[in-house]
Amino acid sequence: MVTATNKGSEATMGSIDAALKPRLRLRTRSEYAGWVLSILVGIGILVSVLTNPNFKWGVVAQYFTHESILRGLMLTIFLTLASMALGTLLGLGLAIMRSSHVKPVSIAAGIYITLFRGTPVLVQLIFWFNISALYPNLTIGIPFTDIGTAIDMNALMAPITAALVGLTLNEAAYMAEIIRGGFSSVGKGQIEAADSLGMSAGMRMRKVIIPQAMPSIIPATGNQVIGMFKGTSLVSVLGVAELLQSAQLIYARTYETIPLLIVASLWYLVMTLLLSYPQSKLEQKYSRTTSRLPRKAKKVVLTEPEGTLR
Amino acid sequence: MSNDGTILAQKIRKSFGPKTVLKDINLDIASGEICCIIGPSGSGKSTILRCINGLETVDSGVLKVNGEDFGYYETAHAYHAHSPKKLAEQRTRVGMVFQQFNLFPNMTALENVMSGPVLVKGADKKQSAKRAQELLASVGLAGFGDYYPAQLSGGQQQRVAIARSLAMDPEIMLFDEPTSALDPEKVGEVLAVMKDLAKKGMTMVVVTHEMGFAREVADSLIFMDDGYVVERGDAREVLSNPQEARTQAFLQQVL
Repeated sequence: MVTATNKGSEATMGSIDAALKPRLRLRTRSEYAGWVLSILVGIGILVSVLTNPNFKWGVVAQYFTHESILRGLMLTIFLTLASMALGTLLGLGLAIMRSSHVKPVSIAAGIYITLFRGTPVLVQLIFWFNISALYPNLTIGIPFTDIGTAIDMNALMAPITAALVGLTLNEAAYMAEIIRGGFSSVGKGQIEAADSLGMSAGMRMRKVIIPQAMPSIIPATGNQVIGMFKGTSLVSVLGVAELLQSAQLIYARTYETIPLLIVASLWYLVMTLLLSYPQSKLEQKYSRTTSRLPRKAKKVVLTEPEGTLR
Repeated sequence: MSNDGTILAQKIRKSFGPKTVLKDINLDIASGEICCIIGPSGSGKSTILRCINGLETVDSGVLKVNGEDFGYYETAHAYHAHSPKKLAEQRTRVGMVFQQFNLFPNMTALENVMSGPVLVKGADKKQSAKRAQELLASVGLAGFGDYYPAQLSGGQQQRVAIARSLAMDPEIMLFDEPTSALDPEKVGEVLAVMKDLAKKGMTMVVVTHEMGFAREVADSLIFMDDGYVVERGDAREVLSNPQEARTQAFLQQVL
């Protein structure tokens, strides 16, 4: 008697219906080798990290929520937010200048962008820190001074100001290019439509170009925030007591260099991961280029005989 | 403002770099006239339309729109460019409908139609919204005000675009191949709106490949080729009995 299950297949090829048999992937020898090797290396590193007493995980735990570390973290967050905010505003201005029809204005913005993107941030920070050597009487002639003094009570004002100025001016150059890229993603037809309605240049910018440029600007800006968060560690060379410098100040005293660097790294990692989540959400939301539908759009009810969706 | 709705062009020249697109264009369009411009691609039909709306500036020649020198004012020795404000004011009196609709995708249909009056003329929002509803209804899109352009078909988008231009109360409407980007089945709905408009006495200049529309609606027809106006005259006359050899050849191809 043939059973119902193998009616369609040869009895010699097993009891399952051939049409229902799963199709298995080929696993090569190198794939197995890859598994074994990765696991071995992973276990090796883990064992080494956990058993090597020099890591001093107890010290890491002790300093992870140490007051001066947390204060440094706050300063790092402040520097990130402040220089991103100011850098974005300045970058917007530069982007508008860069796309200006007036050649000298456009060239001026171009030179700024080239200079600030073409030199290392570290050099720029030290430069602003030592600007008094160039202009002794104009040391605080940059209009971010009030913000520096008003918010920070802990560290010295001058290094913080230099840090803020340096980071802001550098970020502005990058943001200018991001924003300009967003502008050029808006079609020429949109500008012509705005012009033919008689819109002024400012109105056109605010109501037509910027809203449409946002989807390409926002995800890139999110990336910049994450980069900036880690980039603030550079201002430790100016003696600003941000996260890294706070750790350095402690290990200069206790000689527990590695544990404190781990403390700082863990905080950078935690913050970066915290920022990555909204960033990936932003990217998902704005990457759907096929549907250029604003969020607040109502659902289309397909009641029209001709069909309302293309 | 004495002769609203007229367009006068004399010896218009326009070059893009080394390429001269308009070589010697003379036009005289009366108030309320429906003028269709036909011709092969690259003949300069779209360019002359864009000049009338100030999207391009002419190199030389006289261009009077609504009885005023457009974009420039004349002195004894030269034409001087108007300020952006004055140019914008002149533009508000000339509506333009594009091949690619160019609706603002970040605004609903209603906001698109309202955008001109509210943003440019500073009109009252409530009144403009009411007026925009009426305009949408007049192009057969009552109840579509809350839809975004991406939710509308090409024909519907183009009708919204027409309503948006009309919201500015222009004396002249320019149409740059308004049905060329549409599915064939949606062409009719846009042409119907344009026919409606023609009956209301609006001056219309239409660059088109729709010979049927030209024959049915247009008062005059202009055939352009290679930067020149080759032939102009009564629309039905030119279409049925073209005088110039170039016009005959073109019409044989398309009809």
